[in-house]
Amino acid sequence: MKLRGAVIVFLCLGLTSCLAATGSQVNAEPAVSEGKITVFNPMGTPPPIQAKQMAPRLDTLEGKTIYFVNTGYIGTDRLMDVMSDWFKANYPKTNVVIKRSSGGMTGVDKALWEEIGEKGDAAIIGLGH
Amino acid sequence: MPGIRVQYFRGPVWAKTREQLKKQIVEGNNPITGRPVMQELVENLTKPLTAEEMKTGELQRDTGPATYTGTAAELQELFLEKRYTDFLPIILPTEERVNEMLKATSHDPDEQLGSMNPGSEAGETWTYTVKTAAINAVMAGAKPEYFPVILAIGSAGMTAVNVSDNGFTAGAVINGNIRDEIGLNYDVGAVGPYAHANTTIGRAWGLLSINGGNCGKVGTTYMGTVGNPMNAISIIIAENEENSPWEPFSVRRGRVGSFGGPPANYEKGENVVTLLNGWGILSAANWKVNRWGPDMDYPQIIKDIYDQQSPGLFGTFVVLSPPIADFVRDAGYDTVEKLTQFVTDAGAAKPTPKGGPGFFRMGNNFHVVVTGASNNNYWMIGGMMPSRSIRIDDWR
Repeated sequence: MKLRGAVIVFLCLGLTSCLAATGSQVNAEPAVSEGKITVFNPMGTPPPIQAKQMAPRLDTLEGKTIYFVNTGYIGTDRLMDVMSDWFKANYPKTNVVIKRSSGGMTGVDKALWEEIGEKGDAAIIGLGH
Repeated sequence: MPGIRVQYFRGPVWAKTREQLKKQIVEGNNPITGRPVMQELVENLTKPLTAEEMKTGELQRDTGPATYTGTAAELQELFLEKRYTDFLPIILPTEERVNEMLKATSHDPDEQLGSMNPGSEAGETWTYTVKTAAINAVMAGAKPEYFPVILAIGSAGMTAVNVSDNGFTAGAVINGNIRDEIGLNYDVGAVGPYAHANTTIGRAWGLLSINGGNCGKVGTTYMGTVGNPMNAISIIIAENEENSPWEPFSVRRGRVGSFGGPPANYEKGENVVTLLNGWGILSAANWKVNRWGPDMDYPQIIKDIYDQQSPGLFGTFVVLSPPIADFVRDAGYDTVEKLTQFVTDAGAAKPTPKGGPGFFRMGNNFHVVVTGASNNNYWMIGGMMPSRSIRIDDWR
């Protein structure tokens, strides 16, 4: 049995905003004569998030099995093809497996996840688009 | 796995050939780091985890203190800096103002009002209370008498600022006697910001989405490629029931069931809000098939525009002024159901556009609401899909 938690990398396909900077800074010039008041914070409550143990990284890709998971958005199949071609050319001893997830962009394909945990060493998941 | 490694490259992917994808992505660079995409991808698989990446347990989330103290000017700047606003000045949510807002409902301030994510289950789902809604309603400048409407909208958990790179907008149709009770405008300028109630209710929904749902934040929860100006204030449509030849929108929606649910049997005069999601609405004068002159066959014009519109995502949403609605009725369509049968060819599904995202298509989604004045033959049409309908009086 291979690593239960394979190394996973998500592809952020075209989501330019993922890493964009936010907000703008404005210099505050408080009125000296104004009195202080207290106001409520308007934010809601984020969900609790339990950080899971991430799988250790691979020391080499040689002889390893990497899954390319297509989550179904338009064109992701072609992208996975050209990416896997690159791996085949540059890492000929790496076993590349391309799979289509039935879970789409937000759902879970339990059977595929179990297969990757069983047979894979790493997974690259294309989120689209 | 909040620290999961993400490999970024310039999109979009769709509509590109294999050769383009190879050249631009596989042989290209990450536009943020300037480094080769595939080299970074290999490093993401092989570079040892950092101490931060190896942390487990519950993540500490910091949404700030419960209150802030400062001068009014300082607090305005603080709220702007923290992106608590829609970039416009707000009414500062003091305890006195928030308590006044809360008097307009019998619901407990600590009751969870709803949960919201940026859209399409993308990102986190946040929760918010009745008090959170009151704080944001105050910030929007809403009066306490509007608060049950704001709570009804907030209870549905639909964001007013969807994350999608499409640039969606949101809207709501309000029916019932509450329209006059709180001064909603359904006359001149009905769908625009020309009345205090319409404007501040729409703004309150946006602020609740930004703060209660943590939506609309460029860089994390918003990525509209071009954006949508209708996100500034969500479209609030009070139907002009008095001058409509047809049953109120809420009655018709209730009969078919809200968002796939069972029929609700709303009665005329009952206070109901129905939420909309979509591209927005635009003057019908934008379409060349919208004719002037003696051949103003409005049912056919509506059908012609419907036939031109993409069947993808939201279908067709028509906002008729009373004179146009009367034209349509006088042409033989004394019910919206009859008009719908004609326009949609009795519900026939449109063909999927070639190369388009066929799995998004909504077929014969076609809806009509009547509002506005009778001073000219103008009307609007666009792509918006009704979702939930909610009884407003449940939130008094």
